[in-house]
Order: sequence, then C-alpha cells, then structure tokens
Amino acid sequence: MNEASETLLSAQGISKRYGPVVALRTADLTVRSGEIHALLGANGAGKSTLVKILSAVIPADGGSISVNGEPAALRLPMDAVGAGIATVFQDPALIPDLSIAQNLRISGLTRAQVHPWLERMNLGHIDYEIQVSDVPLAVLRLLDLARALARDPHLLMLDEITAALTTDQADYVFDIMREWKDRGRSVLFISHRLGEVLQLCDWATILRNGIHVADFDLSGVDEGELVTAMLGEELVKKAEEEIVAVGTAEEEHAADLGPVVLEARDIHLRDKVNGVSFQLHRGEILGLTALEGQGQAELFQVLSGDHRPSSGELLVKGERLRARSPFDAIKQGVVLVPADRQQALLPQRSVRENLTTPLYNRIGRWFTLAGDEAERVERAVDRLGIDVRAGSQAQRLSGGNQQKVTIGRWLASGFDTLLCFDPTRGIDIQTKAQIYDLLREVAAAGASVLLYTSELPEIPLVCDRVLVLYGGRIVHERDAKTATEEALLSAAHGLVEAPA
Amino acid sequence: MTATPQALVTATQAGWRRWLRRHGWTFGVWLLLLVLLAYYATLIPRFGAFQVASIVNNGTPFVFLAIGQAIIVIAGGIDLGVGGMLVLASVTAARFMEGQAFVTTLVIAVAILAAAAVINAGVGWIINTSKVPDIVITLGSLYVFQGLALYMLPNPGGGTSKGFRWLFTGSDTGIGTNPWPAVVMITLVVVAVALWMAKTRSGLSLYAAGSNKTAAYLSGIKATRVKILSYAVGGAFAALAGLANTAIAGRGNATTVGGNLTLNSVAAVVLGGVALTGGIGSAIAVVPAGFILFFLSPILTAMGVDPSNAQVIQGFLIVVVMSVTGVLEWRRRRRS
Repeated sequence: MNEASETLLSAQGISKRYGPVVALRTADLTVRSGEIHALLGANGAGKSTLVKILSAVIPADGGSISVNGEPAALRLPMDAVGAGIATVFQDPALIPDLSIAQNLRISGLTRAQVHPWLERMNLGHIDYEIQVSDVPLAVLRLLDLARALARDPHLLMLDEITAALTTDQADYVFDIMREWKDRGRSVLFISHRLGEVLQLCDWATILRNGIHVADFDLSGVDEGELVTAMLGEELVKKAEEEIVAVGTAEEEHAADLGPVVLEARDIHLRDKVNGVSFQLHRGEILGLTALEGQGQAELFQVLSGDHRPSSGELLVKGERLRARSPFDAIKQGVVLVPADRQQALLPQRSVRENLTTPLYNRIGRWFTLAGDEAERVERAVDRLGIDVRAGSQAQRLSGGNQQKVTIGRWLASGFDTLLCFDPTRGIDIQTKAQIYDLLREVAAAGASVLLYTSELPEIPLVCDRVLVLYGGRIVHERDAKTATEEALLSAAHGLVEAPA
Repeated sequence: MTATPQALVTATQAGWRRWLRRHGWTFGVWLLLLVLLAYYATLIPRFGAFQVASIVNNGTPFVFLAIGQAIIVIAGGIDLGVGGMLVLASVTAARFMEGQAFVTTLVIAVAILAAAAVINAGVGWIINTSKVPDIVITLGSLYVFQGLALYMLPNPGGGTSKGFRWLFTGSDTGIGTNPWPAVVMITLVVVAVALWMAKTRSGLSLYAAGSNKTAAYLSGIKATRVKILSYAVGGAFAALAGLANTAIAGRGNATTVGGNLTLNSVAAVVLGGVALTGGIGSAIAVVPAGFILFFLSPILTAMGVDPSNAQVIQGFLIVVVMSVTGVLEWRRRRRS
C-alpha cells in the first residue's frame, strides 16, 4: 500500500441514532485513491448505515465528511453522485413497475452509457423493455451496478453485492473492481465473505457496535485476525465453541435416521421444478443447494403450501398434504422461514407481536391471547438472544436480529418440519453460528429441517445429508460430512450425474 | 427445458403476449365501451349523431376529472378534493365569464387552470409537510372548495361566451350533433398526458414515487416534489373538468355535490386499471372507463330500469368488474 497516495474520502466521527438505538457512535473511514477498501463488521455494526450516510440517503447526526480534501455537504443522493460517489445498495434500487429502459430514463442515464457494462457482465442480450418485477434478483444487482458504473464514479460503494450472485457473476464484479483500482479510482466493498475480501481488498476498516475499532493492511492478515477484530475476543471464543458444539452434536446424531416425516414424490411445477422426490426424516437436517434460479424458490413454494404443484404429491407423516395455502401446511406442522425477511415480519409491530403472530390461528384463541403466549414468547426471545432494545418496531432491528425473529415465530408456536430458505444470507458469523446451533438443537429435539443455502461451506457444518438441485431436478445426493465445496459446486453446475 | 437467469431477461415472451399483458386491461376497457355503445344503439329507437355528441360532450368533464385523479393515484396519493375543485372552477368561470367576449373567456379559463394548479399544489405541500395521510387532508380540501364555490356564486347562474361553449360542445347552445371539438380536445390531452407519463423523467417519476418510495429516492427522485407536481396537475384537470361543465350547462351551480363527483372519479380510475396503491396504470385506459361509468345510467334508463335501482346495478357492476380483475391477476400470478 502506497501511503503517499492521496485521500479520496474521509469521514470522521460519524454518528447516527434511530430512536433509542445507536447505529453509529463514532465511525471513521478513510479511503485513498486507487485502493479497494473493505468495510467489515458483524450485523448491526453500522456498515449499511455508514454507506447510506456517505451516499446522502440519510443524514448523519454528527461528524464530518470530506471528499478530495474539501468538506462535502451531502444532502441528497444526487449530491453524492455529483461528488463522484456511486453506490450499489443492499436492496435493489429499481422501480418494480417500470421497465428497465424507463428506470434508466428516471436516473437520467442512456442505454449507451449502461450497455457496455452489462455486456461485460454477460448481460449484453438483456431486453430493456422487460418490467423490473420480472427480473431475477441477481440480474437486478448487476443492473444496479451497471447504473452506478455509468456515472463513472471516483468511489464505487458496493454493499453486499455478492450475496445474491452466482460464482461466475461475482467474478465479473471482481474484474470490474480490479479495473477500477487500476484506473486509480477506489472501491468500498462490503461483504461477509472474508475469502473474497482477503483476495480483493487492500485495506479494511472494521466497525463494531457503531464504533471504528481498527484499520488493517490486508497484505499480512488472516481471516482469524479479522474475525477477532469484528467480534471482539470473547465473542469469537463463544462462536467457535458453538460451531464446535454443532460439529459434535452432528457426530452423535448422524447415526440413526428416524421415520420419514415429509416426503416429496415426483413434484413438478410448470417448467421450473421437474420431478423432485426426496424423503426428510425425523430429527434430520437435510441440506439443499443450487445456483441461482434452478427451481429452489418454486420448490419451497410448493412445500410450504404457497403454490400447488402441477403434478406429484407431498406426504406429511404418510398422509397426503393438499395445501391450498400456507395455513394448511402450517396446520400439518410444516413451516417456512423465507429468504426475504420482509415476507415474514410485520415491520411496524413489536418483536413480541411478531413472535405471537403464528399463535393467532390456534383454535380457541380467536378471542383471547392471554394464555401461555407471553411465556412462550419470553422463552423464544431468551433462546434466540434477540436484542429487544428496539423491540417496539421490528423494522428497527438489524438484519440478523430480524432473521432470528422470523425463526423465533415458529419456535413460539411449535412445528414438526422447518423449511429454511437461505436463512443466513448476508448475516454475520456470530449470528450464523447461533442459527446453526438453533437448527441442530431443533433437530435433536425431534423436528426436521430442510435447509436451502447458497453458502456451500455451511453444508458440512450443519446438515446430515445434502441434495443438489439443477434445472429443477435433484442431480446429486450425498452425506453432508463428505460434501466438499468443489464436489457441490460441480454438481450445482450440472457437471455430475446423479449417483445411481 | 430449464430457465436460466439469462433466459428470463431476454425476449422469450412473444411480442403480442407481452403487449396483451401490459396493455390488455386498456384494450379491454375500450372494447367494453364499444360493446356498450353498440348495445345502446340497439336499445333506443333512433341512434345517431345527436346521441353520440350528447354522450361525448356530457362525458367530457367526467373524463377530465378521472384523468386528474389517475395522475394523483399513480403517484401514490388520492385526492378527494377534485370534485370540490371542479365545482369551484365551474362557478368561478360562470361568474367571471358572463357577458364576456370569447377571447376574454379564454384568458379567464387559463387563469382558472393556473390558479387551480397552484391551489392544489398547496394541498400537496400540506400533505408533505404535515405527514397527514392524503385522504384526510383532501377530505378537508373537498369541503373547503365546496364552501368557497358557494361563496363565489351563492345562487345558480352566471354564464359564458358562445365560442367557449362551442369549444367543449361543438355548438353555441351546448346542444347539437357535433362531437368533434370534444373528441379532438380529449385526444390531444390524452396523447400529451400519455407521452408525458411514459417518456419524460418527471412523468416516470410519478410511477416511481407511487411504486417504491425508497427506490425512487435512491434513484435521485425527490418524492416530495413529485407529490406536489401530481396534485398540481390533478388540480388543473379538475378545473378543466369544471370549465367543461360550465360550457355544457352555460351557467354555474355551486350546489352540485362535489363529493359524488370525486367518488365517480375514483371509480373510473379503478375501472381504468389504475392500482389504488399507486405505481400502476395509465391515463389512456381511464378515458373509456370514465365514459363507461357516465354512460351506464342512460343505458339502464333505456333498458327501462327504475332510476333508483340503477344505482344499485351500477354499484354491482363496479364490484363485478373489479372482481374479474382480481381473478385475472391471481391466475396470472399462479401461471407465472
């Protein structure tokens, strides 16, 4: 790292609070020209808040920002763009009801400005007239990136862009980041995947609980040091112990499989799911993985009762389940933790109320909720370690805590089979460990879990068996303990034939 | 066959299918209007230029009001005050245009449109600043406008120039067989609005603000400004409807109930395929929807339905038609 290179952006002592919750206390960040700078921290550390302040989406309560040595007054998003800062936010910033072309027009961009970037990301054939709500999430992320690149920014900020991308799509992004650096410009990169960070970034700033804790030159650092800085010494030990405990639990557990609780027989759904069959046993955690768009979302819709299959049948404890809505599936004890937390939460309502929602349907409880709910909710809150300081509105919780609430809802109401769709996407290592631990515990207590995850290293840690979905079919099945990342990846790309 | 993410974003849908999906509702509403017209023609003994002119001319204020409401709803608001604005503009025109030359009445008309835009922009500004829901503030503005109209013209009366009446009705007396001035005016207005909303940044911003405020903000759109803009344009359209009303009647009447007009405009907007949650719809489909709603009562009368039952039937029709939309949408989502 060339210490003499000039400072592009400097943010000092940035603070921000939302009601009683302090998102940022004193965040400092210095990005130099020509570097790829990582912004790291556990969930709720304030990374996204800082990015939003730097892009002038929300105002800071205190602190100062300067760009190229000049104090910058960033009041509106366009001010940040004017100052040479372009951001790809965690959530896609495209209007769903308009076409791609109309979205570009709104941002004041032309196709000619965006198209070269889309071509570089293998999206040169994209149809600009298609409505944004019909575009898959991964492509939306890349469209957002192309839009940011078209502004030709001096500082490109990428908030969790790789979380929704497939490996090859992520590689396009990495290439572009490197090019930006070679042109003497800068990238601020946020990712929970430390592998990516170490491979790409020159420098890292670490936030913990809204405070700047350290800056690292990444040339001589390993993952462990970063994790320690992100979580603090004690928490790291605890997280490691939990993961080890998970591993041990699995050893003891894997030997015997209980009776089949959920069975899928030749499920078809239009051309998305093409004949999926599997058995889920009592006390088992069955992993499922796939690249983006291989029918996993549709399969989960069928399993959770949201969508009826075109053909094929579902059996719950040997009896046929013909769900017309999730209500029917839930009655049979099959419950879903969706990928999008917004689908599961009542954002304006309290944590407690969110945890109670599934209890509303219990027969005999239509007129009163005064029974054992309070106790059940209390137990779930304790069990999950949910931070309830912002408990009056679930939307004020950090992403990781929101995810815990989505699982906690079912803990409070009880279930037999938990369908988890990518529950740890974009979540920090400590919360991840807690969620794995929770899943193992749930399974040990006799429930079953079907876990779809896009993060392959998770699979041997948590699952007993693993299925790989490709083109709407299960192409691979194996014992999760022997499932290496390479083997799963090649299967996920459709390169391995299903074992006989 | 598997759908890769790539396949999903390229032109896999046949052109006409996508066209139908995007514009099917607009097409359907126009078709429904034509079917109703054809049916009406068989119902009454003599169907000719006079009947066509009467429907087109008398439906015009209604259509303008619905377009104004549509613009506001698409941008994520709803304006209960448009009916009051119509009445206020109508009586103001009748009071000041009486006995004036054509050119003078035109100047007065432009002044009224501008004033209505400014006043309703103020309503939008109050909604923005006070953070009180649109429906509450505009319920207030409805009463205020209606009251101001009574103050402006306590007794029915006033007048306008012959030329001004011709401009909206194709005849100096407001009654005749010439629908063309109204047709041309509606066409010009609709084309202008459609182009504005589909091609320009400010027009598309309406959809953006109504669809997803956060995404709109992140795209550099000032949602507050968009809201004020939509209320200003909507207010101007309500005033245009009021001017048409004065031209047709040849006088003003402040006891016209603005609230009913507002509810009709909301019904037309819904029938025209505009989502009340904002972000979806077009002015082009609202035009036939406005005509259909206006046209239902003459049809029912021609069918020999008791006027007091006619309202019930009208209400049921709205429910049935909207239920069909709901079912179609549900089926589309099941299939896709």
